[in-house]
Amino acid sequence: MHTDIFETLADPTRRRIVAALISGERPVGDIVRDAGVHQSGVSRHLRLLHEAGFVSVRPDGQRRLYALRPEPFRELEAWLALYRRLWEFRLDRFGVALEQAQRNPNPPPDNTDIKDPTP
Amino acid sequence: MTETAVQAAIVIERTYRATPEELWALWTTKAGFESWWGPEGFRVEVHALEPREGGVLEYDMIADAPEAIAAMKEMGQPISHGTRGTYSEFRPHQRLKLVHTIDFVPNSPVYDSVIEVGFAPVADGHARMIVTLHPHLDPHWTKMSVEGFTSQLAKLDRRFGWTEQRS
Repeated sequence: MHTDIFETLADPTRRRIVAALISGERPVGDIVRDAGVHQSGVSRHLRLLHEAGFVSVRPDGQRRLYALRPEPFRELEAWLALYRRLWEFRLDRFGVALEQAQRNPNPPPDNTDIKDPTP
Repeated sequence: MTETAVQAAIVIERTYRATPEELWALWTTKAGFESWWGPEGFRVEVHALEPREGGVLEYDMIADAPEAIAAMKEMGQPISHGTRGTYSEFRPHQRLKLVHTIDFVPNSPVYDSVIEVGFAPVADGHARMIVTLHPHLDPHWTKMSVEGFTSQLAKLDRRFGWTEQRS
């Protein structure tokens, strides 16, 4: 897991650039227009996205075409899958606790307002 | 919510042989919340729980199992930390939104973690619970979550004989 992935996507401008590339390979001009990114900043953001492995770039005559690469998104997916599993475990515990509560004939009172002054 | 957070939503749906009221109680009472909340290897002690919209939820999250204690120590974290949340939405037996203020992740700005839960009765004495999570893709949080729990998950996988993610 490269934490770079998260650092890269932490920037809202770069997320807009990624969104602009979802439909496929685009030249810089299209990205500027679709992502609403200022021309002066787009090169820097595209460079960072390229360095982090999010985009590929290839020359096409005078233009450079940018496209998304799948690898970092697969890693994101893997991270989300792990997070989901952590929560699946939690809900397993929820189910166990629920069964215990159902077996217990004396359910705890529906507390209205517990305040413990202990710091 | 910080500007730098990357948000993604994960939706988990489960059906239980229970009423929505029984499910609701596990989220909104001291005994209920303490009976299941927290990652594997942790337990919680609730100090304040105000079951109403805008009500606070304050508890200590305590590393309990030896592996969890070791993991926290390895990360230079205390084995117990005070955690604070708010029931920002509270519609009994139907829907709640629990917002946690995450202020214990080292080198990370304070941010909110939002969990939304919907409850609905279904046929034959069952109820459905839909949990929507908005994991915070902060690099430090990620590091902590992944490094802290991957080994633990591997152990659990072996214990339960899981080889693939369950549906």
